[in-house]
Amino acid sequence: MNRISGNLNADEKALKEILSAEDILTFPFRADGGIEFTVVYADAITDKELLGEQVVRPLLHYAGKPQTEEVKKRLTSPELKTETDFNKLAQEVLTGNPVLLWEGMNEAIVTGVKKVFPRAIAEPPTDIAVKGPREGFIEDIKINTSLVRKRLKTPELQLDTVTVGRRSKTVVTVCYIKGTAPEKTVAQIKEKLQRIDIDIIPDSSYLPHFLAEKPRSLLKQVGTTEKPDIFCAKMAEGRVGILVDGSPIALTLPYLLIEDFQSSEDYFVPTYRATFTRLLRAFALFVAIYMPAFYIAAQLFKLQFFPIKLLLTIAGSIQNIPFSPSLEMLLVLLVLEVLNEASIRMPKYVGMALSVVGALVLGETAVNAGFVSTPAIIIIAFSGIGLYAVPNLIEITSVIRLAMLLVAGSVGTYGIILLTAFILFYLATTDNFGVPVLSPFAPFVRRDLRDSLIKFDLLSLEKRPKTLKSKNKRRLTHE
Amino acid sequence: MKKSFSEFKRRLPVKLYLILAAILFFIFFSNDFGLVDIQKTAIILAVGVDKSEEGYTLTTQIAVPQSQQGQTVTSSVQIQAEAPTLCNCLSDIYAKTGWVPKLIFCDLIVVGEELAKEDIFGSLDYFLRDEYVSDSCLLAVCEGKAADLISSSSAIDNTTAFAIEKLFSDASEKTGHLSKNTLKEFSIGYYGASESGFMPYIRQIPLEKEMQKEQPTAAKSGEDGGAQEQMIYSASDTALFQKGKMVALLNSDQTFAFNLLRGKVFSGIFTVHEEEKPASLTVLKNEGGASLNMKGAPTAEFSLNLKVRIHNKGVPSPIGEIADSEPTEELLSLAKDKISEDVLSIWQTCVQANCDLFYLKRELYRSSLSKYNEWKEVLLTTVQPNIKVEVSKVS
Amino acid sequence: MNKISARQLYFFLACIAPVGKLVLMPTQLVLFSKNDLLFPALANFALQAGIIFLIMLLSRSNKTVFELLRYTFGKIGAAILSLVLALFFLYAAFCPMLEQKLFVQGVFYDTLPSLVAFAPFFIFSAYLCAKPIFALGRIWDFLAPVAIIGFAGLMIFSIGQADYGALLPVGAGGGKGFFEGFAYTLSWFYDSAIVLLLMGGFRYEKGMAWKSLLSYLAGGAAVLLFLAAYYGIFSDIALRQTFAFAKISKYFAGVTVLGRFDYIFICMLSLVMAFYITIPLQACVVCLRETTGQRGMPLWYAVGVNLILFAASYFSNFYNQTAIETVSVKLFWIFPLFCCLVPLLCMLLRRSPREKIVL
Repeated sequence: MNRISGNLNADEKALKEILSAEDILTFPFRADGGIEFTVVYADAITDKELLGEQVVRPLLHYAGKPQTEEVKKRLTSPELKTETDFNKLAQEVLTGNPVLLWEGMNEAIVTGVKKVFPRAIAEPPTDIAVKGPREGFIEDIKINTSLVRKRLKTPELQLDTVTVGRRSKTVVTVCYIKGTAPEKTVAQIKEKLQRIDIDIIPDSSYLPHFLAEKPRSLLKQVGTTEKPDIFCAKMAEGRVGILVDGSPIALTLPYLLIEDFQSSEDYFVPTYRATFTRLLRAFALFVAIYMPAFYIAAQLFKLQFFPIKLLLTIAGSIQNIPFSPSLEMLLVLLVLEVLNEASIRMPKYVGMALSVVGALVLGETAVNAGFVSTPAIIIIAFSGIGLYAVPNLIEITSVIRLAMLLVAGSVGTYGIILLTAFILFYLATTDNFGVPVLSPFAPFVRRDLRDSLIKFDLLSLEKRPKTLKSKNKRRLTHE
Repeated sequence: MKKSFSEFKRRLPVKLYLILAAILFFIFFSNDFGLVDIQKTAIILAVGVDKSEEGYTLTTQIAVPQSQQGQTVTSSVQIQAEAPTLCNCLSDIYAKTGWVPKLIFCDLIVVGEELAKEDIFGSLDYFLRDEYVSDSCLLAVCEGKAADLISSSSAIDNTTAFAIEKLFSDASEKTGHLSKNTLKEFSIGYYGASESGFMPYIRQIPLEKEMQKEQPTAAKSGEDGGAQEQMIYSASDTALFQKGKMVALLNSDQTFAFNLLRGKVFSGIFTVHEEEKPASLTVLKNEGGASLNMKGAPTAEFSLNLKVRIHNKGVPSPIGEIADSEPTEELLSLAKDKISEDVLSIWQTCVQANCDLFYLKRELYRSSLSKYNEWKEVLLTTVQPNIKVEVSKVS
Repeated sequence: MNKISARQLYFFLACIAPVGKLVLMPTQLVLFSKNDLLFPALANFALQAGIIFLIMLLSRSNKTVFELLRYTFGKIGAAILSLVLALFFLYAAFCPMLEQKLFVQGVFYDTLPSLVAFAPFFIFSAYLCAKPIFALGRIWDFLAPVAIIGFAGLMIFSIGQADYGALLPVGAGGGKGFFEGFAYTLSWFYDSAIVLLLMGGFRYEKGMAWKSLLSYLAGGAAVLLFLAAYYGIFSDIALRQTFAFAKISKYFAGVTVLGRFDYIFICMLSLVMAFYITIPLQACVVCLRETTGQRGMPLWYAVGVNLILFAASYFSNFYNQTAIETVSVKLFWIFPLFCCLVPLLCMLLRRSPREKIVL
């Protein structure tokens, strides 16, 4: 028996059989007209005050017929729906929506009075901009969608919901602007989401594994942001956004590598400044990845990379270091990674102590004790800082840096060149929902270069990126 | 079966990456393909080559950087080897020290005077043959033995090589008082149609004893470690080479005139005597050149166009004269005569030594192959010089 | 990704292909043609440009060369000819690989390293060979500016250091010098064979033949400029200056003061070159797969081809000079056979399948 029978006791019992947990409570009451009602709800996630105000109190004096439509009219809750399937009703209860059963009716009313625990909308810690909006997504999907709606007051904005996760039943909202986002991409994303068969989706970071065309790829395949303004701007370019209930990190697709070199602030500062900072980010990242590797390759295989005076300084400082140059650099890099990892996870009040221990004790003492040389510390320190110029790529770039270091220590400069060639080819041949990740550089799309590593002024960005294949090409019209 | 193959195909890249990573780690930690890292390297800063009974004596100046209280101090050590070839000498140094001698940072090759009198490419070919040696290093010949020069104690830098290289800085080249040359340029001259070239000629000059007391401790010596006489160096003379042999020497005035002809001088100073009173003139503009004119009787055209002003006079002058520093016509005429004389004397020296210092044969070769074949043996002795010097004042 | 765009092909012809001619070809030219090195190089570029022009005309059918072979010679005939082409590409890849090995050993190391130092090239090459050859189009888009910046950087540093008078007198090498210089550098000019193989991988556009010709000649002009600077800088000792492009920039005043920062540009060009020299190997894999009717994973072909080349590299380790001399001098005629004659003969192939006669 999967459907409501109209026998209140039997129905209540059937529902309780599915929902056997102790926090699933029932509240039976009798209306003035003599009808027996029972509300089934989950204790902690149901707003009992609202339940009393909007459901129980209006029905206490109900003396009409036991008909669904009549009952619904008495209820003051704006979110009401009817359901007959026990499994679906159980699911609603678990989501925090109480189920109202009564004697004699073979359907139940689901009331939307779940309790929400939203935290305040704050500036996201991973996406700070000096200029520009400071709002960030939070964990509640309704608030997140409201932040999107607030910015895109257009009927073309579509928010399609898919439920993912066998047990978690996580609500995932696919957001896109109809006519701007390619329909094929939207359909593909929805299809991929619907095909997901996993027990829980605790966070949006689970989804890229299912959405990506190369799930095992080292490369990031989905764009992420915590800021609704960036989210909306990306949708306006023709991308599809994904919001996941319980996660403040929104996803955008298709992903282009160049996205991570751009920041929201670039659009709020003068063009030349934006171009400069983008180039600076690229340069910092380039130096951060390559400097330790080239330093090692030069020391081991090609001293000529150094000017003579610098070489003599380095040669002086590495004298009596017990490790080979490559091992020394690897150890310093590992120490940096450990410090980095520990400082993120460590309680804030220990953080200061960690800085002192890391910077002073480990750094200076290690140099004084002759374990490591000063140039190695300087290079790794700069590399560590430089990598954070593009924070969204840190997971990948730190691995590439390590790989470069290993290759440089093994086969030298040519190894670095070959690994670079390998990564470039890999990137150039990677597509993301039919869009090349390395675009607008490979393939070369001249128009899209206007908002890539260089940034033209807003008036020059008349058209949406060609790469994203949006049907609606023009976004700006000059009067 | 089909499923297991597709599963294998799916997992293949991961397996391959893991194997590659394992190989990479192995190579990284074993890290030895007979390669030489910085700690096993002897960074040779300069070499001196001399003739010896066995063949050649090679004196190398090797940098010994040391860290002292966080600062790197570079001292040096001189190591010598004697063998039939230079390559052999370097192997000998390797065997003696355990350091692998690397010449990529060798910026100075000094040839001893005795060796310079025979074809120096009997030994210097080593530097051209080896792919790991830079051919942009400076080349010089020295008075006496190169070993003595390299091992000498400099008064201006605790590494002799650096002290000598300072002589050949770009700024010092602009003074026109030395003619620097690199191994590459010298080799092009040697293997080219002219078969000639030049090198600066270095002399050691002992510093006066009372000055020595104020100098810091001298460089570490590879020889005896005792207190050595401190030296300064001069390269105001220029050695001329023909077919790799040193055939003549230009004095300092001729060297200056030679550099004027090469158009290399800016702010260079020369002195003329007006009624036995000296006046130093600064060259502020130098256009110079030497070319061959084969129309009619062959002539070597030497042209110089200089703009000068007075820099210093041996007698007190009124303030008005100091303010404008314009040389008189008489002074300009004296300057012109002096430089013309120097140019002529260079030409005579070249003819005498059969050294085609101005690459006239090369010019002829480039302009006409047949004329070159006709004239190449007698060109220098037949050609008459035509010297045109213009000296004017800066107004 | 399955097609090469016209722009990508132009980038290949103008920017990628010329880079392979900057390593040992200049010294080879000097060896035979002395100061007249520009003329044989120009002749080779012009010849290749002409053949590429004809191939582009042939490509108007938008068919691959294998399809044309099948239409004319049937499946078996086409398979045999594909195998012959595969063998040629393997052969053509040998010299550039040796050249690259010597270049790497000479330029990126201070002392002669063991062969292991060059071994990663074969891993990289195998990876590339396992991918579809038309996937190269995108990387050419990326590499073209890299090649331009690298080349421009080196030329800016070196162009002012050269004595261009060294190129005189014209004709010093004589007719023999010209012919030898031309013939014995043919092994560096296999670009037309590659374009032949790329046929069908791009859609013919109007004017593409002319644009391809001009692109190749533009790349050739850059190489000629490089050769002029190279000979102008080294003049009578140019013959000794192998790995020319890694050397010409070091005499720039800034480089002598700040150290070899010109290596940045050398590394950029080396990156481009790493891709360029794998193309014949990729072409070889494509032909082999065509021969076997696309059976098996491309990776196995790629690994096999690269293992052969690695073995060749290993066994010729002490005979590099002899090997290069054999390929470029003694057996020079193989290249015009496959890079000129074969494309010309391809013009005669059927452009559509034979109609089956139904009785």
